[in-house]
Amino acid sequence: MTTTPKKHMGLKAKERLSNTIIYILLITISIVWLIPFIFLVFESFRVESTYQVGYVVPKQFGLDNYINLFTKTDFPIWFKNTFIIGLFASVIQTIIVLCMSYTLSRLRFKGRKLLMNVMLVLGFFPGFLSMIILYKVLSWFNLTSANSVPGLILVYVASSGMGYYVSKGFFDTISRSLDEAARVDGATRFQVFTKIIMPLSKPIVIYTILTAFMAPWGDFMFAKYISHATSAGMNVAVGLQYLISTPQNLSAYYTMFCAGGVLVAIPITILFMCLQRYYVEGVTGGAVKG
Amino acid sequence: MARVKLTDVKKVYDNNVVAVHDFNLDIADKEFIVFVGPSGCGKSTTLRMVAGLEEISSGTVEIDGVVVNDLQPKDRDISMVFQNYALYPHLTVFENIAFPLRLQKVPQEEVFKKVTEVSEILGITEYLNRKPRALSGGQRQRVAIGRAMVRNPKVFLMDEPLSNLDAKLRNQMRAEIILLRKRIDTTFIYVTHDQTEAMTLGDRIVIMKDGYIQQVGTPDEVFDQPKNLFVAEFIGAPKMNTFRTNLIKENGEYYVTPFGSKLLVDGLKGEELKKRKIEPQEVILGVRPEHMVLGKDADNDIDAKILVNEMMGSELHLHVVTNDNTELIVRVPTVDLSHEERAKLTSGNEFHITFKGNVMNFFDVESEENLLN
Repeated sequence: MTTTPKKHMGLKAKERLSNTIIYILLITISIVWLIPFIFLVFESFRVESTYQVGYVVPKQFGLDNYINLFTKTDFPIWFKNTFIIGLFASVIQTIIVLCMSYTLSRLRFKGRKLLMNVMLVLGFFPGFLSMIILYKVLSWFNLTSANSVPGLILVYVASSGMGYYVSKGFFDTISRSLDEAARVDGATRFQVFTKIIMPLSKPIVIYTILTAFMAPWGDFMFAKYISHATSAGMNVAVGLQYLISTPQNLSAYYTMFCAGGVLVAIPITILFMCLQRYYVEGVTGGAVKG
Repeated sequence: MARVKLTDVKKVYDNNVVAVHDFNLDIADKEFIVFVGPSGCGKSTTLRMVAGLEEISSGTVEIDGVVVNDLQPKDRDISMVFQNYALYPHLTVFENIAFPLRLQKVPQEEVFKKVTEVSEILGITEYLNRKPRALSGGQRQRVAIGRAMVRNPKVFLMDEPLSNLDAKLRNQMRAEIILLRKRIDTTFIYVTHDQTEAMTLGDRIVIMKDGYIQQVGTPDEVFDQPKNLFVAEFIGAPKMNTFRTNLIKENGEYYVTPFGSKLLVDGLKGEELKKRKIEPQEVILGVRPEHMVLGKDADNDIDAKILVNEMMGSELHLHVVTNDNTELIVRVPTVDLSHEERAKLTSGNEFHITFKGNVMNFFDVESEENLLN
């Protein structure tokens, strides 16, 4: 009678100990991970200096950096550029990716396997290998420097069909008999796609939109190369880096740079918060007996 | 309502596997046809070619006199019930049933009227606002049937619609399909691997194996006059007992000589043999489990020993072994048995079995075709 409860206590204590260790570990990791963000936010509200100082919490809080960013720099242009690029790229890319994935998942045609393999192998090469050629091609069409916004949209969208894996995998899980039932019920292939597959694929559509928007939003390498030091064609990442690219600029604009960093994070955060619930929503239950 | 005609229909897959060989069948208007056979026999493939979900490699499929080979499924005016129901999970039951009408842009009032009508027939009115995932298997199957019914299609296709249901529900739904068929009164093509479904539902049954039609006939025909050994063994449960023996002729009468005995072939079968002047030869003899009875008979009995006694309720399935170690199954209705008799039918006991000579089947040893085809 006395041994059994003791044993239980032992188990509980063990569990508590392991939980404590896990929590300490996780908290440490989160702190390390969050510190840069917290520093960035603090710096962005500092009024007393525009350059780096040896402490974190500002002596004087204010919105000066944000106001200056909009009045004294080209930040509004960069922000607008990035937003336009992100918007167009995400819409076009989502359409292309979903059509591509649906086709690869549902239709059987000659060269399908080859196409998928070629795209897989091509995907192994880092994208920037093609940078010089891309610049050449875009410059023929006068889509660099100040005109780099449409040029960049083109670059981000062009290879989007290659990102079919995730959504094809998702479509593969939707029973083909749903397609067949709809076709027998009188739907065209396109209607099957829009009326059956799309509503069932909300999570993957959202995922595709988010990734398609985020990639150009944070891109630096292509944007830098194609905008070619012309402020009018820069996106936020390139613009902000440009802001602090010389030592003099670094001390004059450092806190504004931080404010820019905070502003860049806001749209993405909002977008994600609005759409994240679809990630978890399972909609395929009951379609086919499991 | 339509006649469906398949002429030399063939299906060859990309890897050169032939799934269906030269399928010829003329299905009459309002006929209920069942395709039955073991898995991989090509029955579903044939159905899917009629539906337009599978390309036809060669030959033609006609619906109502129109060759539909190159028509999309949506243009064939057919509807189909799938094995896994294939309900649209994001739509309510109402919208699932209404889906074909919505695609035809039928006015809302009529959609409402038709869906209500169909759901009343199927007894699913109370679930109309539910999503499919909140339904049981039987209810889902009703919704799937409703969706197929709502359009009054020319041809009603069903691909193993009852396979996902449990045995009890399957029996119930089978009966309902018979009733439904009377109400809908259209051409049905029904695919199943279950011979009971085929026998109970079909006006005619198409028995298939390895892509070839083995026999087309009414349930009576395929049961009483199986064209070959495969059909004989496939139709009927428990399956027909088959074994090699000799067919001999003495004094103008035919006999078979299994297990060291001599059994007279009389009745219809005996007459048929005489009429066709069948040569005495080695044959594969087919005897259904219900065509043997317990007890002695001067001419037609053999000795056997019981291996296993399966009590099915209304009948016993006796697995017996003969003196040359051939295993047979004998079906004995329990209603005629006294307690004492039943007590004797235990494993290891010996007794006599009498063969009914008038219902025996004889198959060629080489071709396995019925000698009386």
